[in-house]
Amino acid sequence: MGCGVRLLLFVFLFAGLAPAKTFYLIVTGLGGEPDYDLRFSGLAKEADKSLRGAGGDDTITTLISPASTKVAVRAALADVARSATSRDSLVVLLIGHGSFDGVDYKFNLPGPDLTATELAEDLNKIPAARQLVVDTSSASGAALKPLEHPGRIVVTATRDGAETNATVFARFWVEALHDNSADTDKNDLVTALEAFNFAQRKTARFYEEQKRIATEHPVLSDASKAGQFTVIRFGSEAASAADPAKKQLMATRDDLEAKIDALKQEKNTLAPELYKARLTALLVQLAQTQQEIDK
Amino acid sequence: MKRLAVLLLAGLAMGADDPGLNRAEALWRAHDYEGAKNVFEALVKAHPENGAYKVRYGRLFLERFNKADATSLFKEALAVDPKNAQALLGLALVAEANFDGSAADLAHKAITLDPKLAEGRELLARLALEDNDYKETRAQAQLALSVDPKSLVAEAVEASADLVEHKPADEWLSRIAAEHPAEGRGYELIGYFLQLNRRYDDGIAWFRKAIAAQPDLWSAHSQLGLNLMRLGREPEARKELELSYNNGYRNDETVNTLRLMDSYKNFETFRTSTTILKLDKKEAPVLRLYMEPELQKAIATYQTKYEITLPRPVQLEVYPNHQDFAVRTMGMPGVGILGVTFQDVVAMDSPSGRPPGDFHWAATMWHELSHVYVLTLTNQRVPRWFTEGVAVHEETQASADWGDRLTPDIIDAIKEKKLLPIADLDRGFIHPKFPAQVIVSYWQAGRICDFISQQWGEPKLLDMIHAFAHTDSTVEVVQKQLGISPEQFDERFLAAVNLENKSLIAHFDQWKKDIREVNAAAAAGNWEEVVTQAPTVRDEFPSYVGDGSIYTSVAACWRKKEDETKETAALVEYSHAGGRNPDSLKRLGMLLAKQGRVKEAAAVLGRLIYIAPLDEDLHRALGEDLLVLKDAPGAAREYRALIAGKSPDVAAAHFGLARALRLEHKDNEARDELLETLEAAPNYKPAQKMLLEMTSKNSSD
Repeated sequence: MGCGVRLLLFVFLFAGLAPAKTFYLIVTGLGGEPDYDLRFSGLAKEADKSLRGAGGDDTITTLISPASTKVAVRAALADVARSATSRDSLVVLLIGHGSFDGVDYKFNLPGPDLTATELAEDLNKIPAARQLVVDTSSASGAALKPLEHPGRIVVTATRDGAETNATVFARFWVEALHDNSADTDKNDLVTALEAFNFAQRKTARFYEEQKRIATEHPVLSDASKAGQFTVIRFGSEAASAADPAKKQLMATRDDLEAKIDALKQEKNTLAPELYKARLTALLVQLAQTQQEIDK
Repeated sequence: MKRLAVLLLAGLAMGADDPGLNRAEALWRAHDYEGAKNVFEALVKAHPENGAYKVRYGRLFLERFNKADATSLFKEALAVDPKNAQALLGLALVAEANFDGSAADLAHKAITLDPKLAEGRELLARLALEDNDYKETRAQAQLALSVDPKSLVAEAVEASADLVEHKPADEWLSRIAAEHPAEGRGYELIGYFLQLNRRYDDGIAWFRKAIAAQPDLWSAHSQLGLNLMRLGREPEARKELELSYNNGYRNDETVNTLRLMDSYKNFETFRTSTTILKLDKKEAPVLRLYMEPELQKAIATYQTKYEITLPRPVQLEVYPNHQDFAVRTMGMPGVGILGVTFQDVVAMDSPSGRPPGDFHWAATMWHELSHVYVLTLTNQRVPRWFTEGVAVHEETQASADWGDRLTPDIIDAIKEKKLLPIADLDRGFIHPKFPAQVIVSYWQAGRICDFISQQWGEPKLLDMIHAFAHTDSTVEVVQKQLGISPEQFDERFLAAVNLENKSLIAHFDQWKKDIREVNAAAAAGNWEEVVTQAPTVRDEFPSYVGDGSIYTSVAACWRKKEDETKETAALVEYSHAGGRNPDSLKRLGMLLAKQGRVKEAAAVLGRLIYIAPLDEDLHRALGEDLLVLKDAPGAAREYRALIAGKSPDVAAAHFGLARALRLEHKDNEARDELLETLEAAPNYKPAQKMLLEMTSKNSSD
């Protein structure tokens, strides 16, 4: 988790506000053939399991084909619109096939499909100021523009509507939700940026290994915001953040982190031994502070 | 180059009273290929019924490296006149250039139509010599000479046969020198046959002689360059290839080899006293960790076994781009080969150059290195089947689970009695008559060596190597060393093969039907049917671990049912049967570790290192298992691989290495790695814990 997010949490806690909540909506589309149906539902269940396993009081809704009709999806979004506040977050994960006819992007559902415009209309009604839409379908790049909105991050499996082959990006995005190696800064949080980097790299490697021309090129609309958007929490970070008694220790930790960042900036100007000594001292202090927080 | 010689000689013979044809031939002789092409094109258009024009035009294309258009024209000529011997000969020449087993049949048909077709006899002589059938070689060469007493090709083939058999060739060489004093093509053909028999240095000497006799023989310059390149002598190779290219000789081998040389700037070379490792810079840091020690281990093993120390370091080149590797094997028989040896230079695919699970790099390395020893011991006097057979045999000697599995193609060949007699086995490598014959021949040669080892003892193979070194033929070696005739050997070998595969052969057709049905059931999600049918299908062909194997289908079924115990059992069976799919084996490793069977997990993943050494997840999982097993050096190697491979999870890789080093009591190095860890991820709690432990230990010390 970046320093900015930590400070933001600190500010919320200091102001005595209740912790914000994240609403998750997972939707699988129409597979078209048994293999895809099995694959999509399997991924949705895996994502659902990972999110529920992380604990917390987040709201998770999973709609699997054939239950995932357009009516059901829009109803689920309407429910979130009624429950969420501006401090909450929303994550929508679409797993399935998509299509683009040159005008409209459609996520293929049992019965009528859901267009990107319809999805955007529903999302715009949700007060949660921080939103993440992960559309892992074929042709999903065509949904980027219609879904554009302040405060919303959009991830698509393809760069445009012309990449129409079935995708593998979903498999790796879901993997990022339970693979610790996605959490590269080891702060027990996987941000949207970390999940995207993980899934993008694995997708690229998949095509390299299979000796196939890559038919999907994932896109992230805003890397800066994505770096501050928590997709899933591992470990005890959530509990600590909610404990007002630890606010001073967390402030100390933030201060030490800032000092470490500053020292790293000076690395090339310092003698190696001096840098090492200073870094060690700060890291020891940080570790001791964290130990206190975790008590 | 042998083809070119024939083509040019033939080019001089035609077109006596035909002004158009004469003009085309004259332009061709003057090396104005574009001009000749234009005239031929006009002639063919104006006279679509004239097969001779099409044949000559086809020969021009064939000489100028365009086999596809040449083939079309020969076929068009045959459509006009099915009895056109020259057109059949043209097709035979194309087949020869492709090492296609149909070449001899086509040549025989052409000769039947035109018994005085000397060029057809020359071709048959060359084909026989490629198969090391010296009797047939000399018979066909003599028939060619009976039609054309000064046939340069026939004389050169006779000389080549003598030299390949390590006999004096003075008679033929004197004739060539006297009758064709300014011709280099005869010497070039000799060079071709010597390099085909893996005598690269000898081949190079004859290409030089060809160039000395005829300095503008660009095909010989090209061959000289290619063979110098094979032996790693790059500067001179480039000079010769560029000379050839700049003078219009731009066949695929020349052009692609020059391109490959340009790509060497992307390679890095690592030298030790016994090895030279040439790796692509992108993969070098990871592959070197595994390949250098494995190569040294193989050298040490073979040095003891074969009782010889190599005079020079072995050079191993590893190509991540399969097309680059393919350039190293251009113009050689053996489609689909995974590695190639040129004296003490070994080239092979990188694991990244092949689909995951498709390629066992260590088995390939041991296989190729075996050639280096066998060729050195015999001074390249060894039939192809034997050196390949020993190499395949050595794969399983290095590790029982290496080596090629029995594939459906091989079972078909056994069932349909397509295995070749031992005395003719070389033909299966050089001129395959059915698509899988090269693969089948590798397997057969390997099994023959296994059989000899079982029946006569492993040292017998070394005795045979020494016997071949003294120029004995397969027939003589089998007779003298095994004490039976080749026919008796075939009988005993085939009886053993049929006995050990009796059940498989009996159930093979049923298995093909059953596995299709089970895979269809798996695709439809009909798991009950998969599980019910599995034992029968498995028992029909237990060693089948290829795509859609019964083991992986059953494992997928239990995974869907979330029964990890049964999924593990299915994958264990798959692994024991020799399965190599990285995803399946990684999954098995994970499941075993989760069940506390860490030693088994590490064994499965350790085996996978020889298949997928660039797989980041593999190093991470194996590193963790080895740490649990307190194998600190092994774990350190895995985490070093992660760091070298630039894993995005930098912190975890350095932390793993720090843990391994600490386990080895290398505290200073461990602390450095820990700092690298926390520099990347200051809040990494396990690393923070270790830092506090080490700091407190230091304080108390």
